[in-house]
Amino acid sequence: MTPAWHVTPAQAASYADGSLPELDAWSVDKHLEACTPCAARVSAAAREGAAAPALAAVRTALLATATTQDRATPASARPPRLRRSARLTRWPRASAAGTPGARHTGKRTGAGPGAGAADGPRTAPASARGGGAPVPTAPLGAPRTGPAAVGAAGGRRWGLRGRLAWAAGPALRGPWLVSLLVIVVGAVCAARATGFGGVRPLLLLLAPVLPTLGVAVSYGRHADPMHEIVTSTPSGGLRLLLARTAAVLTVSVPLLTLAGLLLPATAGGPGPAAWLLPGLALTLAALTLGSYIGCRAATGAVATGWLLAVGAPAAAAPGGAPALLPTDALADSLVTVLSGPAAQGCWAAAAAGCAGLLALRRTSFDRLERI
Amino acid sequence: MTTTVSVGGLTVRHRRTTALDAVDLDFATGVHGLLGPNGAGKTSLIRVLATIAAPTAGRVELLGHDMAGHAGRTAVRRRLGYLPQEFGFYPGFTVREFVGYVAWLKEMSGAAAAATVERAVARVGLADRIDTKVRRLSGGMVRRVGIAQAIVNAPDVLLLDEPTAGLDPEQRVDFRALLRELGTTSTVIVSTHLVEDVAAACTEVTLMESGRVAYRGTPAALAELGEAAEAEDIGDNPIERGYATVLRRHRAGAAAGTVAGTEVSR
Repeated sequence: MTPAWHVTPAQAASYADGSLPELDAWSVDKHLEACTPCAARVSAAAREGAAAPALAAVRTALLATATTQDRATPASARPPRLRRSARLTRWPRASAAGTPGARHTGKRTGAGPGAGAADGPRTAPASARGGGAPVPTAPLGAPRTGPAAVGAAGGRRWGLRGRLAWAAGPALRGPWLVSLLVIVVGAVCAARATGFGGVRPLLLLLAPVLPTLGVAVSYGRHADPMHEIVTSTPSGGLRLLLARTAAVLTVSVPLLTLAGLLLPATAGGPGPAAWLLPGLALTLAALTLGSYIGCRAATGAVATGWLLAVGAPAAAAPGGAPALLPTDALADSLVTVLSGPAAQGCWAAAAAGCAGLLALRRTSFDRLERI
Repeated sequence: MTTTVSVGGLTVRHRRTTALDAVDLDFATGVHGLLGPNGAGKTSLIRVLATIAAPTAGRVELLGHDMAGHAGRTAVRRRLGYLPQEFGFYPGFTVREFVGYVAWLKEMSGAAAAATVERAVARVGLADRIDTKVRRLSGGMVRRVGIAQAIVNAPDVLLLDEPTAGLDPEQRVDFRALLRELGTTSTVIVSTHLVEDVAAACTEVTLMESGRVAYRGTPAALAELGEAAEAEDIGDNPIERGYATVLRRHRAGAAAGTVAGTEVSR
């Protein structure tokens, strides 16, 4: 892409002698990275400017050194290095006999400017590779690591570990996992160290939204750098989104439940597993809403809704001395929302309803998320 | 030749701007160049063909499937390769993992995939870098990794949006050779700014302007148009002159209120 703006000769001159204002100089800096004609213009200006004698002196000295070293190095030691670097960047030629492409290429390379120099050492390794015959798989001797290597080593399959790693998605590679671990470990350590009983209500307040936030950073153009490629594949859309959601839940549910178990219980407070159904319902609600407004906005809306619904009554609750954290009021508020078969039944119904709606909206994730 | 990609009355609007205006196009096996200035609608067309953008109106058929249906889309996506204009990657991915991940997303079987991934990476000349982290590669190499992921499933329809951006001249020559090779068996649609890419690699050129098709023909026919318009001092070679001539005529035609038709000169 060519930028519309270019460095004028006057700007080049003042850039070269250092008199261009800083802001303009930054623009020129950035522009020169991409624009060869302007870079040439600025170089010319620098050669004509006040620095000219110094530049000329450096150039002469450099050339003298290079010439001396050239003579000192035995001729046989030099070309292989050149050849090697050339080979590294070379594309394999389509040189199978009779391929029209190969004939064209040969002609073009030969005729192209500067091709003469390139042709000598470079064509030899290309043909040594097997001259475009299928693929040189054998020389790839480097040790294999990562999921793909697991697949290769497994022989027939992608390998269970590889598949799990790939289903994980961006959430489990990024800051979400770190935040989750910090919250869980922090909560347990704080409660154990201080004996403060209010940690469990706080954790239960956060627990249902944490998996939902994991979903928000798993899919869509804000979260997934490969979103555009991913969407164009048969796995893209709801299927991959559900796979990544499952991965997020697999990690967060045991961690958060375990943390809840390790925290000291408050008398009459909700149990450590009481958040599971609400968590599932909120996650499905975020997915369903996400089919309309995108995963990120949907998660924001659902998480805010939950925190307000549970937190606001606790904050506004009439109490004695206003505490720094109204954990008792929060525990009461959580009991209302979470405890008892009626409340849990409602959450289960909500989860089922959202799942049904999501099934109806399944194709809406097929396209590129634009929101 | 059988038509593999066909669109009719294709219209795409983004809010109030019209990116594509009732476009009718058919493509068969071969390399098709999509030329045009910025904002002509090339990327919009490629995205619709890649099944990731929904058209505002019109019919899209790929490999005999209608893209309006979910089942057809999924079937076509298995046989599709797509290089977006811009794409990201996960920070820890090596070239092998990146291309392997896309192979997995394209539902390739694990048994075939490991070798296929190596083959795709070798075809873009990165065999030596296959276990390098993608983030350590230069811009041109990342572009080639993008091409490798697009061709990993040996697609029947290959869509490349600005594939030569960031490639140096020598790499572009190699890339064109790869394009010609791919075009013998697949329908390859390449959007580009660079007229010389079209001249060197494409069997057919489609010139777009303001969301409409301004010209369709062979690169040679476009060059002939340029030769005929030699009096006009534009462009450095016949095909560039042809490009500029067609654009001028198309703009003049659009300004005069005539229906911008498809000029076929084959």
